[in-house]
Amino acid sequence: MPSIRKQTLRGKVAVIGIGMSPVGKVRGKSPLWLAADAAKKALADAGIGKSGIDGVLSSHAFASPFHRFSVAFSEYLGIQPTFSNTLQVSGATAATMFNIGAAAIHGGLAEVVLVVGGDSLLTGLTPDLALRSMTESRDQQYEMPFGIPVANTFAMTAHRHMKDFGTTPEQLAEVAVVQRRHAMRTPGAQQTTPITVDDVLSSGMVTTPYHKLDCSLISDGGAAFILTSAEHAKALGIKSPIYILGGGECYTHEHIFLMPSLTTTGAVESSRRAYEMAGYGPKDMDLAGVYDCFTGTVIMMLEDLGFCPKGEGGRFVEDGQMTYGGQIPSNTHGGLLSFAHSGVPGSLFHFHEVIAQLRGQCGERQVPGAELGLVHSLGAGFATNATTILGTENTL
Amino acid sequence: MISSEDAMKKPVPAPDADSAALWHGLRDGMLLLQHCADCGHVQYYQQAMCRQCGGENLSHRPASGRGKIHSFSVVHRAPGPAFKADTPYAVLLIDLEEGPRIISTYTGGKPEDVVFDMEVMLVCEKVNDEITLPRFRKA
Ligand SMILES: [Zn+2]
Repeated sequence: MPSIRKQTLRGKVAVIGIGMSPVGKVRGKSPLWLAADAAKKALADAGIGKSGIDGVLSSHAFASPFHRFSVAFSEYLGIQPTFSNTLQVSGATAATMFNIGAAAIHGGLAEVVLVVGGDSLLTGLTPDLALRSMTESRDQQYEMPFGIPVANTFAMTAHRHMKDFGTTPEQLAEVAVVQRRHAMRTPGAQQTTPITVDDVLSSGMVTTPYHKLDCSLISDGGAAFILTSAEHAKALGIKSPIYILGGGECYTHEHIFLMPSLTTTGAVESSRRAYEMAGYGPKDMDLAGVYDCFTGTVIMMLEDLGFCPKGEGGRFVEDGQMTYGGQIPSNTHGGLLSFAHSGVPGSLFHFHEVIAQLRGQCGERQVPGAELGLVHSLGAGFATNATTILGTENTL
Repeated sequence: MISSEDAMKKPVPAPDADSAALWHGLRDGMLLLQHCADCGHVQYYQQAMCRQCGGENLSHRPASGRGKIHSFSVVHRAPGPAFKADTPYAVLLIDLEEGPRIISTYTGGKPEDVVFDMEVMLVCEKVNDEITLPRFRKA
């Protein structure tokens, strides 16, 4: 029995349904459709109707004109929830939706919360919207006049990590190679052609040290989840509810030049809080979904989430520790680098994979006996960090 | 909202209540840092309140312009058409002599010459009558 320090939402809320729209290049479908398609599948998976939902949490969508995406989504699906919000902390939004959804249920604001996101970054953006998506989240006075793409802020953290710890371009590339191998066993993944370290290093420079294949994909797609109280899950007769055991967040800065350290991030604190709530540590995790906007991001996160010591992430990946048979199989679906990256829903795919793994539904890519999983979402040059820990009934 | 026409132009800062003095100073060839009289904190990102102690006893003093490169990344794929002609260009995170870190780009040399810990010097680059950008060259 794990040691639990205080009264929290640990184990009080379960995920009872998961769903995903088609991903990759999905022509002619709006972000709302992608979200609603995923929601219908999640409802069917849970075995409940749309009238069974009383709460909706969503992310924003770049390709959608709606400021209140969660509200527009509810209208689209034809429901009138009594709890709803559209959350925006960039890439970290996915895990915050789980944490806040669980807190809302635990606190009595809602009984059944739909966590949902959909976006069409590949086929749904006009050139103007595409430019906006690349630049709008950077500071208009201090950053954008210099031509600083979002990738550049992450690149400068990876570059400093290489200087301080000797992390190599080959080690960065290995992350992309491993995840591509994972994606090859995931039905529907956007990129399934095998790649080598040399392929990554010769794929064209985007912003040093990142080549094209060090960067995540651009995709269409949506994902949805049904959360409810453990009691309600029981009453519904759900076969394998997956419990939310812990959540944590950390926001260290807005501007990259005010990031306290370029190589140690808020993921240290967000995961520490999630582990403390869950009563488990990094060594207990059977698999992880690690936000992977860029290859170097994964290396830094494997360190900050406690899977290896600071500075050793490159060697850890090189040693095969982030794949099957290693210490922490990560992004077993292929992640943002190879499965799909449709904005915030991209990070919801990590949740979809970890939950499916904990249910034992992953076929040939199943991590044997997986009972505990961690998902970490982050965004905006490590400005935002959120962690969620999930587990099976045995882990309560 | 960015229109197609605007996308061809580089974004120009619009000074606000917090930042007006910074942009005035740059127009006159000075990079003004905020010094807190209450706790001694020095900040580059301009705000009418000290980020360390919350005090409002801040005064502007010109930076020496000297700094050292903490990290950098050379952009090969520009964020939009306005910056395409400039590629490759080096984005720099510079630790100023007075303490604060600043983000800027390298000027007066090739981006491949940029290395960690390189000493750099402020260059005030006029954009228009209102706006001058703080950029950096090798010291
Ligand atoms: Zn002060």
